[in-house]
Amino acid sequence: MRRKTTQHALLYAGVVLTCAILVFPIYWLVVTALSEPSQLRQLPPSFWPAEPRWGVFGQIMAERPILLWLGNSALAAIGAVTISMIVSVLAGYSLSRFRVRGGQSLGLFILTAKMLPATLLVIPLFGIFRNLELIGSLWSIILAHATLIIPFTTWMLKGYFDTIPRELEQAAMVDGCSPLGALVRVILPVSAPGLAATALYGFVLSWSDYAYARTFLTNAQGNWTANLGITTMKGEYISNWSDISAASILVALPILAIYLFLERYLVGGLTAGAEK
Amino acid sequence: MPRSAFLDLARPSRRHWLGYLLLAPAVLLIALIIVYPLFVSVDLSFQNVNIARLDQPRRPFTTANYERLFASEDFWNACWVTFKLVTIVSFFCFLLGLGTALLVNNRFKGQALARLLVALPWAIPEVIAVVIFAWLFDSSFGLMNWLFIKLGLVDQTINWFSSPDAAFAVVCTVMVWKGYPFVSIMMLAGLQSIPEDFYNAAKVDGARAWQRLVHITIPSLMPVIGVTLVLVMLWVFRDFSIIYVLTGGGPLKATQSLSIMTYEQAFGFFKMGYASAIGVITLIVCVIASRLMIARAPDNI
Repeated sequence: MRRKTTQHALLYAGVVLTCAILVFPIYWLVVTALSEPSQLRQLPPSFWPAEPRWGVFGQIMAERPILLWLGNSALAAIGAVTISMIVSVLAGYSLSRFRVRGGQSLGLFILTAKMLPATLLVIPLFGIFRNLELIGSLWSIILAHATLIIPFTTWMLKGYFDTIPRELEQAAMVDGCSPLGALVRVILPVSAPGLAATALYGFVLSWSDYAYARTFLTNAQGNWTANLGITTMKGEYISNWSDISAASILVALPILAIYLFLERYLVGGLTAGAEK
Repeated sequence: MPRSAFLDLARPSRRHWLGYLLLAPAVLLIALIIVYPLFVSVDLSFQNVNIARLDQPRRPFTTANYERLFASEDFWNACWVTFKLVTIVSFFCFLLGLGTALLVNNRFKGQALARLLVALPWAIPEVIAVVIFAWLFDSSFGLMNWLFIKLGLVDQTINWFSSPDAAFAVVCTVMVWKGYPFVSIMMLAGLQSIPEDFYNAAKVDGARAWQRLVHITIPSLMPVIGVTLVLVMLWVFRDFSIIYVLTGGGPLKATQSLSIMTYEQAFGFFKMGYASAIGVITLIVCVIASRLMIARAPDNI
């Protein structure tokens, strides 16, 4: 009995310590944002500001075009996710339900496409977008992000559709639904949670991108995404770490919120297609 | 494989036609934004091009880019940096990821919260992770310098980003912090699929905790570990944002991986033909690695 208690205490100590160390960088980001810049230059550092300046978020939004950056990131993500979801729902459904010639090789190709290095793809895309005069426009990153998202969403959705019994569409079709009608009226409503998780996962991929935004949008200040904006703040001659931290929190918040929702589905998303 | 009931329902021919139709938009889009660009980049790598201009006639075929590449010291340096990075980061991601997974896989109050916290860095965009660590490792007022001095590890502040070794260590730290939650999440999923009976049987036989780990847990996790390892290695191999924003590949090219070198040549020096050649080399590595993974992937995750 006593041994059990000691073990339990050790376990708790281990968990608390591990969580504390691993989450500390995020905690420090919050502390930095809430501290006066002058406080940050004091040693020893204080682990919680004496007077947290909660107004920093409002202030930073007034001083910097953070809302514009966030808006651009959101527009790009919504655009890329919408395009990706439309083609992925159809393709995922086809891969799950139909046996088409070349379907398997297409699936394998998509799986490999998940592993493509962005630094390679960005070069030809730059040439192509320059021809189409898309450099500097949000369309450039919408299309580029679709290259990141489609491989993930197609496999996630195929996996999700695989778990839905075929009898469902059969019943609908016996009742006079067309195959496409069965997809829209029966399968999609049933898959709503899976569709939402997949779309959010795509949103995270787009929101986190830096390479494409840096390449296509650097000279178009009005279209900067959040990540691009943050790096320009970091690159300034004198870095104001509390302002950068406050802005960073605003950029990370949407993804953190999605993470809380997505946690249950995360494994599905991360492994999508790994089982081929 | 038996023909599925769905296809047998009625007029299978029409269903087939619909199957192709449903795939068409994806095939078209993938062809336009992935396959065609890939062809362009392979094509560019065999031309002497500075800035990719598709509206101009193709330059003559040449293997000069590859010859220059294999003769270049920078390229071999980048290969070495990438290799070190992949090895070190993957190793520590696994150590930390597997450790945290085993820890929070125990039953205790607050387990759900602990799980959420342990994987939290997954939800921090890479650029933000860089901001966090750039400040932690700031040379004048960063917390790490203060901590290192306090612990007596160093006697004066370290200028993390001007020493090649220190900068490399910081890059590794950020990547491990950002990458281990993925391992953790995958391992937790793997741990949950091990039947409880295995452990009960072992307990009856008197196996100690350590023996249970070595003889049951690790062997059962092996397939998941394989896939996860390849995915982590590929992520480190391809990563651009963390290194580029943190060090830009410096100092003295100490953190210049192949990805950074590709980007630098393409958009820093506008040598896109040469950059494409490096990119094609990385592509070959990625394709081989992903094929290895697909071939070995287990069916149950």
